[in-house]
Amino acid sequence: MSATVLHTEVGVSDEKQAAAKSAGRRFGALVVRLGAIAAFAAIMAYFVIFAPGFTSTFNLINVVEQSAILGVLAYGMTAVIIGGGSDVTEGGIDLSIAANMGLCAAVYATLLSMGYGDLLSVLAAIAVGMAVGALNALAVVGLGILPLLATLAVLNVAAGMELTLTQNTVVGASSPLLGVLVSGSFLGVSALAWALIVFSAIMIVVVHGTSFGLRLYAVGGHPEAARAAGLSVPFYVSFTYVLSGFCAAVASILTVSRLSASTPGSGELLLSVLAAALLGTVFSRRFVPTMGGTLLSVLFIGLLANGFQLLNVSSYWVNGVQGALILLVVAITSFARGSEGSR
Amino acid sequence: MSVSANDNAAKVSVRGFLAKYSVLIAFAAIVIFFSVASPTFLTPANLFNVLVNNVVMLAIVALGLTIVISSGGIDLSVGVSVDMASMVFVMLLAAGYSGVVGVAGGLGAALIVGILNAILITRLNISPFLATLGVLFIGQSTQQLATSGGQPIYLTSGYAADQFNAIARTALLGVPTPVIVLIVLAVAVHLLLHRSVFGRYVQAMGAQPGVAWYSGIRVPRELSMVHVLCALLAGVTGILLSATVKSYVPLSGNAFLLDAIGATFIGTTLSRERKPSVIGTLLGVLLLAIVKNGLLLVGWNFYWQQVGIGVLVFLVLAASFGLRRAAH
Repeated sequence: MSATVLHTEVGVSDEKQAAAKSAGRRFGALVVRLGAIAAFAAIMAYFVIFAPGFTSTFNLINVVEQSAILGVLAYGMTAVIIGGGSDVTEGGIDLSIAANMGLCAAVYATLLSMGYGDLLSVLAAIAVGMAVGALNALAVVGLGILPLLATLAVLNVAAGMELTLTQNTVVGASSPLLGVLVSGSFLGVSALAWALIVFSAIMIVVVHGTSFGLRLYAVGGHPEAARAAGLSVPFYVSFTYVLSGFCAAVASILTVSRLSASTPGSGELLLSVLAAALLGTVFSRRFVPTMGGTLLSVLFIGLLANGFQLLNVSSYWVNGVQGALILLVVAITSFARGSEGSR
Repeated sequence: MSVSANDNAAKVSVRGFLAKYSVLIAFAAIVIFFSVASPTFLTPANLFNVLVNNVVMLAIVALGLTIVISSGGIDLSVGVSVDMASMVFVMLLAAGYSGVVGVAGGLGAALIVGILNAILITRLNISPFLATLGVLFIGQSTQQLATSGGQPIYLTSGYAADQFNAIARTALLGVPTPVIVLIVLAVAVHLLLHRSVFGRYVQAMGAQPGVAWYSGIRVPRELSMVHVLCALLAGVTGILLSATVKSYVPLSGNAFLLDAIGATFIGTTLSRERKPSVIGTLLGVLLLAIVKNGLLLVGWNFYWQQVGIGVLVFLVLAASFGLRRAAH
């Protein structure tokens, strides 16, 4: 805080020089950002040339399908980070999102296996997901608990309830809706891929094309200013957590359809979801989280895993490369930000 | 008029009291509850069992996180430090090296994780959250590659087992060695964090990073130290873990992460400024351990325990944050 104040004072004292510098910095940031995107492009180009079948329509649709679950979850996380601010310790974050998906999947699969229909089971899963989101909202907005801690506690509750419900077993499930999601297709694109496409379109339009989305950014970026402008900060922040719960429920239906069951261990997705939401910032001009950026990084993570598979590289490498990429991207980003003087 | 003002003041101070001591009150209530609900809970044998099996290893990891969180950062890679220490320790023993070499190698592996974190955070300016998240991913891959996909290594008999027993099954004046290790480390970290110049720098960096920088604290150097210490402490847990279970199970260290973060932050509710402290952290660890053990004795299965822990942490946080907000 005080560092920023000092920076500003220095800037005011020597305006001309600062103006010249800021132009240089903007150029530097542009170069850095293009460099990061070029690195992504180079990896893709390598796969295109050396991985057999990488560019085939079948393979690309396969990647989109595989990315659907991660993508839907990452949108929820992105919304929470936008609305809560991107400070990693004090800002918005939803650590419970993957565990919530596991709980919703367990509820959905259990209800189906008990003979309830699709409509009721889907509604129940969505209700559970949003209830967990509402609990997060209550803790963060109502009680003022740090999001990192509040959602950590809720993570434990959701994961424990999933285990209690399924006794840590696989609950098989089949229903007309799941049948459509598994084997249905429209215009040659499978239902699962459509799910990601439609969901992406909705999220991008809502967050980047409406005044609601603009206000969401205002609330996350400058809560005080947003409050002064008459926005209800608690409402917007609560909304993001409930939305995140909704995303978890939607992802749970996709994961049950993909595996024809609810399986334990969905909590492991959390790190990939975080990685996707955070990596996405590099695709935005001001290094803020955006839905489009999240989509690109989700597809990138999917393509990376897929390319490795086609090149017959052990899947054990995927996590490590993903981690190294996060570090690379963030180091570049922080370098660019640092040279912009906004740190 | 004056009566109602007094009334309000009294209410506020009651709320303030509740907010400050919510953890202690919860602690007492939980101990009383389990003592009544289960006849075995308050027996020395059971409390001893809780201390050795549930407290020691988690507490040492949490001590490391207490230092990091005091500095205003976080370390998501403590599980990797635990695992790498455990892996190198067990692999060295499996190759026939002595226990001393094994322990040194294990701590060396944890040290490397700490140095990697330090470089990423202080040289490359990556935020601690993201830097340690990246290291967590890389650490998981490294283990999978080193163990062909996560095969555990068991050393349950022979020379290695004797070395393990020398660490985990010995005692000094009736106190098991792991407990002594915890006591020594807790006192050391307490002195370091609350009584030394280094500790004051760490607290300053946590409270006012900008001011710390401009008042001449060499932030990168102190911050590097913070992350190296945290990794080393986690490494100690890795060695105790392997010695206790006589094996290395890949990716098992991550189980400590969430509990250790929870314990540290439960501890912060004890102080007015919500600062982490060694005593608070130890109390947080004890609270989690007692609840896990108590729920087991009352007959809840493992799955319900997790729900119970989550609800408890939630309630403690809610009481602490909510009442504090009301008091202001």
